[in-house]
Amino acid sequence: MPDDSLAQLQRGLLDLDMEAALAAVHNVIAGGNQARVKEAVDVVTRSLEVVGKRFQDGEWYLAELVYAGEIAKDVMNALSPLMQSGGSPSRGTLVIGTVAGDLHDLGKNIVVNFARSAGFAVVDLGVDVSAQKFAAAVREHGPAVLGMSCLLTSTESQLAGVIDALKTQGLRDKLKVVIGGAALSERAARDVGADAFAPDAVTGVDMMKKWSAPA
Amino acid sequence: MNFKERVLTAMNHEEADRVPVMGLIMDPATVNKMLGKKPVDFVGLLQKPVLGNQIKNLLSSNRFWNNMYYGNFSAAMQAAASLGFDANWAVYALMKLTRDPQASVGWSWYDPYGRVWELAADTEGNINVNYSRALCDTEEKWEKWVEEKAPLFETMLRNTAAFHRKLVKDHGGRIYPMCYAAPGPFENSWQPIGFVNFTRLIYQKPDFVKKVIAFQTDLCLRNLEAVMKSGVEVVLGGDDLGQKTGPLLRPELVEKLYGESYRRMADLVHQRGRKFVFHSCGNIYALLDKFVEWGFDGIITMEPTAGMDLGRVRAQVGHKLVLIGNLDVSYLVVKGTRQEIEDAVRKAIGDAARGGGYILSTSHSHPLVDPVRLQWMVEAAHKYGRYPIGG
Ligand code: B1M
Repeated sequence: MPDDSLAQLQRGLLDLDMEAALAAVHNVIAGGNQARVKEAVDVVTRSLEVVGKRFQDGEWYLAELVYAGEIAKDVMNALSPLMQSGGSPSRGTLVIGTVAGDLHDLGKNIVVNFARSAGFAVVDLGVDVSAQKFAAAVREHGPAVLGMSCLLTSTESQLAGVIDALKTQGLRDKLKVVIGGAALSERAARDVGADAFAPDAVTGVDMMKKWSAPA
Repeated sequence: MNFKERVLTAMNHEEADRVPVMGLIMDPATVNKMLGKKPVDFVGLLQKPVLGNQIKNLLSSNRFWNNMYYGNFSAAMQAAASLGFDANWAVYALMKLTRDPQASVGWSWYDPYGRVWELAADTEGNINVNYSRALCDTEEKWEKWVEEKAPLFETMLRNTAAFHRKLVKDHGGRIYPMCYAAPGPFENSWQPIGFVNFTRLIYQKPDFVKKVIAFQTDLCLRNLEAVMKSGVEVVLGGDDLGQKTGPLLRPELVEKLYGESYRRMADLVHQRGRKFVFHSCGNIYALLDKFVEWGFDGIITMEPTAGMDLGRVRAQVGHKLVLIGNLDVSYLVVKGTRQEIEDAVRKAIGDAARGGGYILSTSHSHPLVDPVRLQWMVEAAHKYGRYPIGG
């Protein structure tokens, strides 16, 4: 009988059926085949792209996007012990947080979840993160990307503060900076000197993937 | 016509002498700036070695909290009235100061619902209080919490009634207090649990979610009753159902989980002969018809940064809902020029005020909202808001 675990995994993710997705992934793990593990990771990545498109097209709502992210997280957690022994390569590190004075975290958390599932090692600094804390984390972790979430007009100026701190410490040229959140726009990215503005989590993670793709 | 007649006429979808203007003034930074008051830096004091303990005791007492909290809203009413607003919103919240190693200042407010509110101060010492995280991330923790906090809910409801009654008594002669029974059953069900956890529970433990919503709906109905004891004719309720691009939950799911709650809230207010206005941030086009179906009388906010266009809302729901809000708080009342504010006010009035049923206001409040620009907004409303509009 053909093993349809990967198809079942994809259906689980796209039908928001956590149980089916986890049962499928346990079948894959039980098979003990490294190549299948790698394929399962690819299924997760491809399914999340579909999920993201559904959200961007207004076909899916935020709770569905969040739950798909949760299923992907649990699947990746189940797969991760096997990935370490020769599995999927990390795309590099993302340091991310919500700027000082701002406590909104729903959007940031979605970016964190999607970035992890896309293969980034994520350092999540949480909310209300000061410029010094961002800069210190960049120095410590040497990320490929720094992500900042900001939803309030009153905290927009914090973005420039973080980028200035990176410049002062000679760290700015070593990474890409992406910003996102309800108060922001492309223009804000230009004004504060970020590399990009991401209107949603999926676009943001897509940008990060492009930046981290081998030339 | 006085401010109250103006507001109530608009609420009846009739033309008053002019379009009423409502303030959403509540942030201590804005209030203190308006009244030229120097803030007491409680957060700073809390961190002082000896004094800190005394301040902690003070801040923890129900009486002190109520006085401090009332003082802020009383000042907000005063400031709004002096700027010429016809109405201003007011909401009561109860918090308990709690030692919190996760908080940057070592302390947070915990509210009776199971939410943590971060305590911070701006550079001037104005206190800032914002929801930061959930305390009941599992079913067991939630059950335990609501059982333990039963007496606190009663205190909260008593305080709510006293707060609004006093506000109406002290300020109702100068300005119309739009008394707000917040938050609603949606926010009260997800915020103590966390949005991600709550989403998981919707799919994995629907019966538990139903139980939480039923509990919060009952509490919310009691909160509405408490607010109505003040005698006001219009009551606000609300939940942030939207985000920038659309509702947080699929509209069918909102109906399934919360439809009954919202119907009961509107019914209760109607049974008491009042009108029910609902606040929601975000892009909520997909829910407007539901609001009408559930029996709401009006909506407040219509956030332009989330794509809410007043003309389009009016076209979609006609005069079935009174509309309040829509002026931008990301730029207009922060840095906008006088001309830009006049243009925006004129446009809003042109889009929604004919035939009554529109109350001009900003779409939210935050500490950078500039009182001078609010003053320009009121002046522009007086200039362009005379009925008949454009006549
Ligand atoms: C790094 O790379 C990236 C890439 C993409 C990134 C990214 C980073 N970050 C985000 N993205 C992007 O991807 C995500 C998914 O695709 C998206 O993320 P978002 O974060 O945009 O979307 C989330 C998934 C869902 N959306 C949200 O979570 C925000 C929804 C709305 C309704 C909202 C909510 C829920 C809340 N709020 Co607040 N809130 C509003 C919001 C209205 C709106 N239009 O968004 C907004 C943001 N709030 C506002 C305000 C004023 C406030 N809020 C406040 C409080 C709150 C709640 C606590 C009640 C709650 C937050 C709960 C929480 N834990 O996050 C206060 C501030 C608290 C603080 N200091 O942080 C307070 C100041 C209110 C007050 N006076 O107390 C307004 C800001 C206005 C402005 N221009 O400044 C607001 C736009 C509402 C409005 N009517 O105008 C994209 O933007």
